[in-house]
Amino acid sequence: MSTPTDLSNVRQSVDKAHGLPNAHYIDPKVFDEEKDALLFSQWSGLAVAADVPEVGDAVPFDFLGMPLLLVRDRDTKVRVYQNICRHRGMILVDEPRKIEGAIRCPYHSWCYGLDGRLVSTPHVGGPGQNVHASIDKNKLSLIEVRSHVWRDVVWINVSGNAPDFEDAMCEVIDRWTEFDQPLFHGGDDSKFTLTVDTNWKLAVENYCESYHLPWVHPGLNSYSRLEDHYHIEKPGHHSGQGTLVYRQLRDDNGNTFEDFAGLSDKWDTSAEYIAAYPNVLLGVHRDHAFAIILVPHGPERTSEHVHLYYATDNSDASLREKNSVQWKEVFTEDVGVVEGMQRGRHAIGFDGGHFSPVMDSPTHCFHDWCAGNIDAARAAKQAAE
Amino acid sequence: MNDTLDFKLLKAHARQDKSTLVDLYTKAADAAPTDDARYFFMTHAYIFALDTNHSTAGSLFKKLKSAGREA
Repeated sequence: MSTPTDLSNVRQSVDKAHGLPNAHYIDPKVFDEEKDALLFSQWSGLAVAADVPEVGDAVPFDFLGMPLLLVRDRDTKVRVYQNICRHRGMILVDEPRKIEGAIRCPYHSWCYGLDGRLVSTPHVGGPGQNVHASIDKNKLSLIEVRSHVWRDVVWINVSGNAPDFEDAMCEVIDRWTEFDQPLFHGGDDSKFTLTVDTNWKLAVENYCESYHLPWVHPGLNSYSRLEDHYHIEKPGHHSGQGTLVYRQLRDDNGNTFEDFAGLSDKWDTSAEYIAAYPNVLLGVHRDHAFAIILVPHGPERTSEHVHLYYATDNSDASLREKNSVQWKEVFTEDVGVVEGMQRGRHAIGFDGGHFSPVMDSPTHCFHDWCAGNIDAARAAKQAAE
Repeated sequence: MNDTLDFKLLKAHARQDKSTLVDLYTKAADAAPTDDARYFFMTHAYIFALDTNHSTAGSLFKKLKSAGREA
């Protein structure tokens, strides 16, 4: 990028700051810059472990143009590899499937174990000769991407040099230690995807703040008023919102989901919604939780992968379905505003916007994180030149 | 390889019947006239055995390794 955007206004205090400039939502070059500075160099959400429930399950992903392969290995560990053969760079797995034995490249049949080891290189030394002095199998394992599973989300650090996950995410891990207990994905009725014509950051920004709730989600007004919400802000880590009046979903007989074990009284009526920077939106309630993974598909398109979790593996199916429908309604109500803000970023005179110092600080917190990481990446690049 | 085996191999490839391919390539290896042909077919049997977690993968590996064809 010949002329980097000016982020000096973004990093001011919320009462003076502007939002990120338009280019950060619409310019492919800035998108590429952010791909490295905000996604590949951080711990980003890729998928959920529930996508590969059994040994040998393999699911390919295109993450920001990078072909990745999510597998569950023979030790039941979830692993992420670059989805390419070390021989000719051929895509190894092109659709979700069960790997019975080895991951066999469809081109020349080089075979890899689920642990990534290169097992065989057929005919590499000529017909029927499967070894050659120049091919050291020990040095040609699949390229593993650093990964970590927390709250069932598979987080990846593509650059490989972020702090350990537990350190990078310590603030949100500490905040929710009470919820550090088994989570059970609700299954097919508890996941859905929304594909939205917006930059991924606008989905984060909208999720962070409660300011929009009475206008965009009027159904909440009946019991969850704006003043029942509070901000959650940890600069450099995460931001979001909480509510003090969470009300459990009930079926026609008044039954509810089972609670997570041992929660303190606070959670009787509280729920929290946190954007774990960069691209994972998490929610916790006494009786269920969710994770939303935002997958960018260019500057102006994002898919939102929503997964709902429960405290037990035998939650009631009809209640689960009701919960999924309810959340899908809420998240769909947000589509119009994130797409509207995206279209607004094509207005040449827009200066990034002006925040409510009282209501928008969680969004500003995210902008500040973005700008700080982009500035740091620019400084590192300049130093290297 | 006789025509019948060749025909069966083509059919198994068309069906992507990998387990049958292990058996057929093993037979082709057994019938091969030279070492190079034998280990060529045995390699194919081994690769499809690896692919399918076939019970013969271990023994095929040992044969190839003892012949200096695999490591």
